[in-house]
Amino acid sequence: MSGTLSEQSALGAHASRVQRTGRSLPFDDPRHLEAHRWLVDEAWLLDAQGYEEWLGLITDDVHYLMPVRVTTALGAGYDTARGMAHFDEDKYSLSRRVARFLTEHAWTEDPPSRLRHHLTNVRTFATDTDDHLVVESATLLFRSRGDVREGSFVSAGREDLLRLVDGRWMLARRVISVDDAVMRMQNLAIFL
Amino acid sequence: MTDQTGVIADVRRGMIPAHVYNDREVFELEKQRVFSRAWVFVGHESEIAQPGDYVVRRVLEDSFIVTRDEQGEIRAHFNMCLHRGMQVCRAEVGNASHFRCPYHGWSYRNDGRIVGLPFHKDAYGGEAGFARKGQRLLPAPNLATYNGMIFVSMDPEAPPLEEFLGDFRFYLDYYTKQSASGIELRGPQRWRVKANWKIGAENFAGDMYHTPQTHTSVVEIGLFREPKAEKRKDGATYWAGAGGGTTYKLPDGDLDQRLRYVGYPQEMVDRMKEQLSPEQLQVIGDDGFMISAASVYPNLSFVHNWPRVAESDDVLPFISIRQWQPISEDETEVLSWFAVDAEAPEEFKALSYKAYLMCFGSTGMFEQDDVENWVSLTNTAAGSMARRLLLNSRMGILEDDEPVTPPLGPDAFHGPGEARTGYSEHNQRALLNRWADDLERPPVRAATLTVGAQGSGAVDDQGRTSPQASDVEVPGEAVAQA
Repeated sequence: MSGTLSEQSALGAHASRVQRTGRSLPFDDPRHLEAHRWLVDEAWLLDAQGYEEWLGLITDDVHYLMPVRVTTALGAGYDTARGMAHFDEDKYSLSRRVARFLTEHAWTEDPPSRLRHHLTNVRTFATDTDDHLVVESATLLFRSRGDVREGSFVSAGREDLLRLVDGRWMLARRVISVDDAVMRMQNLAIFL
Repeated sequence: MTDQTGVIADVRRGMIPAHVYNDREVFELEKQRVFSRAWVFVGHESEIAQPGDYVVRRVLEDSFIVTRDEQGEIRAHFNMCLHRGMQVCRAEVGNASHFRCPYHGWSYRNDGRIVGLPFHKDAYGGEAGFARKGQRLLPAPNLATYNGMIFVSMDPEAPPLEEFLGDFRFYLDYYTKQSASGIELRGPQRWRVKANWKIGAENFAGDMYHTPQTHTSVVEIGLFREPKAEKRKDGATYWAGAGGGTTYKLPDGDLDQRLRYVGYPQEMVDRMKEQLSPEQLQVIGDDGFMISAASVYPNLSFVHNWPRVAESDDVLPFISIRQWQPISEDETEVLSWFAVDAEAPEEFKALSYKAYLMCFGSTGMFEQDDVENWVSLTNTAAGSMARRLLLNSRMGILEDDEPVTPPLGPDAFHGPGEARTGYSEHNQRALLNRWADDLERPPVRAATLTVGAQGSGAVDDQGRTSPQASDVEVPGEAVAQA
């Protein structure tokens, strides 16, 4: 297998192939400031489960990928399961997930979880085109349900491709590198 | 160990003491009497297709390296160095001709034989002090495969796998043998849920009754074509041998039409017609039933479903195989694989994978609501009130134990075992009755193996420890003494 994880996915053929160029942008670069603000705004939106609005920030050709991480020997050359992910989504499958949360019968989120997406280590890269930026970030999601069980965490790194569409930045590709091989959350009825 | 006779008697009459879903003593008994003898799924041959490929899988706390050796033989080695007991392989997947223990450097071929023992002569006096010849990583007490599915049993005297599975093999073929090449497994996704392992196994075995309620949302969003979830009761449930499952009733049509209705392209239909038996095809073509969820005792489940995967009326079928691996009385690690016929067209494989991700697994929209229920149930079963409550699991039988619905006759259902349409808990009772059978049997006696001493500890061709090994009461565990 070669290429990026998005390229390797059987469901990634439609995805944009725009990649980063050069070193990360200075923190006072206006492009970095815009990208960082976009991510912070998104984190608050996801905490509030504002999924319909979130879907509006996503391009029609999105590839939203969260591979399954595996424990492999040093030097094995891979640390994701071949041909398997937690999320390997296009706009249609994301829209069905969001639509489900909007029904009155998505029991797993009724009562809703208390969510907090902690966002850090944001860095931005230019690409070959002015209307695309690559943004990397670390995220730590805390999810608390009910009053008996302890809350659970998902820690992950993300590499996003943002695209400028009609003056707004939108998410065109996201690859989530989760830090657990065995998830410690009862399900992933969340977005990262 | 407290006496569980009362629990077992209640379970046998279809009344389930609620605490069995969160009870440490019951779980200890399950470890000693269920998982010490049952055939437990550890992987599929397609996961270790090449010589040297391995995956590391567990049966309860016991870690096994499941590998294909250089001769192509499938083996399961207990993942513990014979010297100081270190875990030999700490990756979960990979390819290796040898495994070297990181502690003192003992190394083993991928067929388990020891090859490297640093300073053998200086430290041990060579073969005279430590008989290296014939020593190997401890094999799983029993290993067998069916349609490429690899099972181990902790009981060297376990009945053969095919006998254990019994007539359920008829139904297992639908999931695992759609062409001569069988299935490919991808994954697994792994995650831990604070739920007792039995709940998932029971649910997949026969709970058609939960579908209209639990899974309302996936019908509402148009993922599932069947217009009313209530259609579930027109399906049949069956129990045969070590397992049972659910089916959907298909619309009128012949065999080809019915297989295409759930989304199989004609070339896959043609291969199924070559591969499956006349009776297996009759269940679909004549009887009009399509397999859906199923469980094999104790903790292996299957699902086959056919959602929409794009803005179109077309549906695509997928298969998932999953294991409810017990961690404790209130925690289960779910291992969920996507399975697809190896000869399927690449486009089908991709879309079937998409269908799987949308429906089942860690992110699946069906599974999300299931797990929420099971965690909640387990939580509630922990306290003293749960010990006063016998849950009614008698759906489908009257007070005098007569069935509400008679079994389907041989002309209405061509599969083995007992099948009937409508909602019932016959299958959940069948599963828990097997569980009760095991709980009543005394624990398995396991042999110990002495490593390296002259004239003892040899392992024979069947992977059993030598007759010299002494018998001790270590339920469900074969102990290597280093």
